[in-house]
Amino acid sequence: MILKGIGYVDEGLQIEERQNVAFASILARKNQNGETIGELIGGSLREGPLTTILGDTVYIGTGPGSWLATSSTKATDFADNLATKLAGRASVSDQSGAYCVTRITGDRARHLLQRGVAINLHPDVFTTGCAATTVIAHIAVVIWQIDISPTYDIATFRTYSPDFRHWLAHSWRSF
Amino acid sequence: MGRRGESFMRYSIFSLARNAISGHHRWPRQWPDATPREAYSIIIIGGGGHGLATAYYLASRHRISNIAVLEKGWIGSGSAGRNTTIIRSNYGLHENEAFYEFSMKLWEGLEQDLNYNVMVSQRGILNLYHSDGQRDAYVRRGNTMVMHGAGAELLDREQTRRIAPFLNFENARFPIMGGLLHRRGGTARHDAVVWGYARAAAALGVNIIQNCTVTGFQRDSQGAVVGVETTRGPIRSEKVGMCVAGHTSQVGSMVGLKLPIESHVIQAFVTEGLKPVIPNVITFGAGHFYISQSDKGGLVFGGDLDGYKSYAQRGNMPVVEDVCEGGMALMPMIGRARILRSWGGIIDMSMDGSPIIDRTPIDGLYLNGAWNYGGFKATPASGYCFAYLLANDTPHETAAALRFDRFREGRLIDEKGVGPQPNLH
Amino acid sequence: MRIVCPYCGDRDTEEFIFRGEALGRHPGLNSDEYAMFEHVYHRTNLSGKTSEHWYHVQGCRNWILVERDTLTHTIYSARLAKDGES
Repeated sequence: MILKGIGYVDEGLQIEERQNVAFASILARKNQNGETIGELIGGSLREGPLTTILGDTVYIGTGPGSWLATSSTKATDFADNLATKLAGRASVSDQSGAYCVTRITGDRARHLLQRGVAINLHPDVFTTGCAATTVIAHIAVVIWQIDISPTYDIATFRTYSPDFRHWLAHSWRSF
Repeated sequence: MGRRGESFMRYSIFSLARNAISGHHRWPRQWPDATPREAYSIIIIGGGGHGLATAYYLASRHRISNIAVLEKGWIGSGSAGRNTTIIRSNYGLHENEAFYEFSMKLWEGLEQDLNYNVMVSQRGILNLYHSDGQRDAYVRRGNTMVMHGAGAELLDREQTRRIAPFLNFENARFPIMGGLLHRRGGTARHDAVVWGYARAAAALGVNIIQNCTVTGFQRDSQGAVVGVETTRGPIRSEKVGMCVAGHTSQVGSMVGLKLPIESHVIQAFVTEGLKPVIPNVITFGAGHFYISQSDKGGLVFGGDLDGYKSYAQRGNMPVVEDVCEGGMALMPMIGRARILRSWGGIIDMSMDGSPIIDRTPIDGLYLNGAWNYGGFKATPASGYCFAYLLANDTPHETAAALRFDRFREGRLIDEKGVGPQPNLH
Repeated sequence: MRIVCPYCGDRDTEEFIFRGEALGRHPGLNSDEYAMFEHVYHRTNLSGKTSEHWYHVQGCRNWILVERDTLTHTIYSARLAKDGES
């Protein structure tokens, strides 16, 4: 009924596993911040649990002075390119193999997520451009909202993705 | 028993028959609620199992009966009434095992000693193992137990299945490979233990004073403790012993004692009454979950600490979830039982996970505390050894290692080897 | 219990690891034995308002300095430990 790598479509709810997503973590060096790091890549990285979109890359705030950069690309040099650009101001490491990303979209997406996320996802407090590093069913997740449909991307560590899918299937069934 | 004041009836089949004939309306009260006198030889702070046991052994073994036990609420209202009633001597380190085996021997003779049915039930404790490494650890622990006379049997999977066929042996992540069986372990009725000690102590002249909170200490010019201030007035005493479990640091702070203790909350749960389903005490070796069935039929179970310091006597949901998940992983059948109550108790976790029975650096003040998870089962030996210390000013041989100075001298008694991080013991 | 993480916002305590009382700095390797003993083993263990270190392991992975009442579980404040005591 669900996923197996291809996706699931229902009225008000679409779930798909995104393919070819590159990840890199960015850790600010001493006395560097979102502004000083961002100016090397044509903008300013927002501080806080928020996303910043620069070109085709989304930078997700995961902690003070730390971001998770992600891009839809088959290129294998995503992290290397970023590291070259940010040299001296931030440490970059490739996380592309580390995460799986699930995209959930539709009217009922919030309802589904709220079964597992113990933070408030109401549009008044969590909307497009917001991000959260938290847990669903004991599984570490990074969630960020893409648009007001709403659409959410949820990154889980790759080895936990079967467990996450299990949670998704279980929660969807109990609607 | 020497008797003072009130008359004490000795319980026997004859007293039972006599009272049955009169419709059970003429049972005398079990112990008198005393009012404080001006002075005592020894004051025990805390009317839980340990405090009352200490008073009883002082009176019965050391012939000191000019004693008051001061309790801020009613006796047995703290951790003595909140534990899961398990008694065992299955520790891996010599210092602990010698002490808890001594306690087990006292449990085995306690009902005759106190003339009170404390419902000691040696139904056995089964610690399950789920890996080769855990089996090796249990072999080592079992050897320690055997060397101290506690007895231990290593069971394989089929032997375990014969005892508890309802366990989830096929769990993919944590298959049950067997268990370490401690046949002499089991349960006792916690309220009866408190009342049995209270009655036996009161019969020997001990004053049990309830609703009497200690608010401070009287000190002489050299700084020695010579009495206590209470909500019912000052009371003088030559010696004062603390048996206040989770509140050891609070009472200690009244005299500026610095202690290697953190107070934590641990939760427990009981289901509705069921027909007999669980024959003994069973512990999950791959998660924090243990269970037994009370004589009323309720499944009594618990798990890990909440993990943060607390004096609140109530816990939070993550541990409720964790305990229930452990239970469902181990014995899926309990998913059918409804939980009746849950509660929290405060325990004084020490920096090595083992207790302290010792003189404090302050003359006249003695401390019995840091019981971690081991308070209830320790009750008889704790009282016995603390009474010995209070009477003789030297530690009893089985408690000789349970001293303050072990932290400073690096002689820790750390069963799990996790270091000074109390919420991990 | 929920802790308002200064970075992540309002979160359940399930996401955090409790480390213990905010003890202040390690006395240093050249300190005397007693100072080391005190630092490692002694705790004030107050009933009431107290300062503690919690680690936000399932969030921003920062150490949080939390002011909390150990009797009522009320949480008064939470700030990043690296910003120091104010």
